[in-house]
Amino acid sequence: MGLWRKKVIETGTPLLIPAVMVLGWILVSAFGLIPAYVLPRPQEILSTAYHYLFAHPGQAPYAGRFWSDARASLVRVGSGFGIAAFLGLLLGLVSGRLPFAKKLMSSFINGLRAVPGICWLPIALVWFGIGLKTTLFLVALAAFFPIYINTAAGARQINPILLQSGAMMGVTRLRGVFSVLLPGIMPEIATGLRLGLGISWAYLVLGELTGVPNGLGAVIMDARMLGRIDMIMLGIMIIAVIGRLSDKLLMFTLRSLFKSARRMA
Amino acid sequence: MNGEDTSAPAGGVMLRLEHVFKEFQLDGKRQRVLEDIHFAVRRGEFICIVGRSGCGKSTLLKIVGGFLKPTSGRVFLNGSPVEKPGPDRSFVFQEDALFPWLTVEENIAFGVQRPGKRRGAEQGEVERFLFLVGLADFRNYLPREISGGMKQRVALARVLILKPRVLLMDEPFGALDAHTREEMRDLLLGLWEQLGQTILFVTHDVSEAVLLADRVLVMDKGSGRIRREMQVPIARPRNNYEGQVPQFARTLNKIIKEKREGG
Repeated sequence: MGLWRKKVIETGTPLLIPAVMVLGWILVSAFGLIPAYVLPRPQEILSTAYHYLFAHPGQAPYAGRFWSDARASLVRVGSGFGIAAFLGLLLGLVSGRLPFAKKLMSSFINGLRAVPGICWLPIALVWFGIGLKTTLFLVALAAFFPIYINTAAGARQINPILLQSGAMMGVTRLRGVFSVLLPGIMPEIATGLRLGLGISWAYLVLGELTGVPNGLGAVIMDARMLGRIDMIMLGIMIIAVIGRLSDKLLMFTLRSLFKSARRMA
Repeated sequence: MNGEDTSAPAGGVMLRLEHVFKEFQLDGKRQRVLEDIHFAVRRGEFICIVGRSGCGKSTLLKIVGGFLKPTSGRVFLNGSPVEKPGPDRSFVFQEDALFPWLTVEENIAFGVQRPGKRRGAEQGEVERFLFLVGLADFRNYLPREISGGMKQRVALARVLILKPRVLLMDEPFGALDAHTREEMRDLLLGLWEQLGQTILFVTHDVSEAVLLADRVLVMDKGSGRIRREMQVPIARPRNNYEGQVPQFARTLNKIIKEKREGG
């Protein structure tokens, strides 16, 4: 009995706040406290969700578009985040371990970081036009910084005794990067990647707000112009869910690929 | 790396330091840490270097390990000069230096597994050393799940498995409680007798040195010299608490003090 209770508490607790909010929402709209064009009723959202996800495309606006929107957005986030992860890890390791590289890059990169990401939108539009490339650019740029900074901090602060241990056991410098340095800073790397992925979703929406035809951010912008508040809210919820799932997927991937991620304290 | 470590004849010189000096730049001032360190270690010999903290004994060990370069002078291992760290001179550090993401077994296997080399031949060795340090039952534990003494056993096993020509130990038991320290000394002596390992052991604990060493080198703080070299003429196994060990330790202590006051 106690075990069962523990399980309920464990799985139920994270759902508590959303449940209370939904309940409040149902009450507010049932009593008509807020007009439906500002806050649509939950039932409306459900039916919008059903149409968006499962109806045949063309039946109604947004019908059945979810899969192609989600695919487009996932491709953009995935590739932008991929570029950021590659560059962030590489440059982070280099600047964390080599003092000269740090001198060379650090103030430049931190200068760039001081620029709010949204400032890049106008120039990205000029350089890359509307669509995939601008979105990729924004996502990759924004996700790069947390990955770079966390990796560099980890690489700089790793206990030198671990590296010395590797060296005295015959590990060459290059192999040491993979067998000692990377596993040794896995917690920092994971933190950087998770922050980067989170920001990727934010900048995805920014990139898609500029008028691309498909994608989860594009749907939200489109719905605003058509006055479809239900669709806007649905879009926000879907991004919340997918963002959360992608974080779980990231951790799952790291854990299944690397011992050091599985065994993080 | 392993395999052909029998080139030095029994009793022949395994490690030789020739007029080693080391200076550090500190706030623009040159600080001499080691002065004219000159000695040789025979194959299979157990040497302890004693001295107060800050006397340069760890620096000396790091130079032999190849982590530091001497300002002048040279270090020869089995006849060839030491340039950089390598598996022929293994270190056991004072602090916990195990890889926290590897289990006990994987830590011990770390040095013998190479990419492209097949597992199997090494596994037998890993088993052997797991048993030698008494950790077979803990093979799947992570370092954070075992005690300080156990960690130092793993640290010992992971380097002994590489069959280093010289084992360098920098106050390896300094962070352990008295009882565990005693256990570890017995274990170390047992392994030393079994494997015939050459050992250079740094400590500030005089009775530890007397208990362990064939020969004790006394380092002096301030001058950075080896002031005195003494054979420990006590038969093994030695007893920490009565007879010759505490007696000899007292004598040695007196010598260290004299030197300090005189120098």
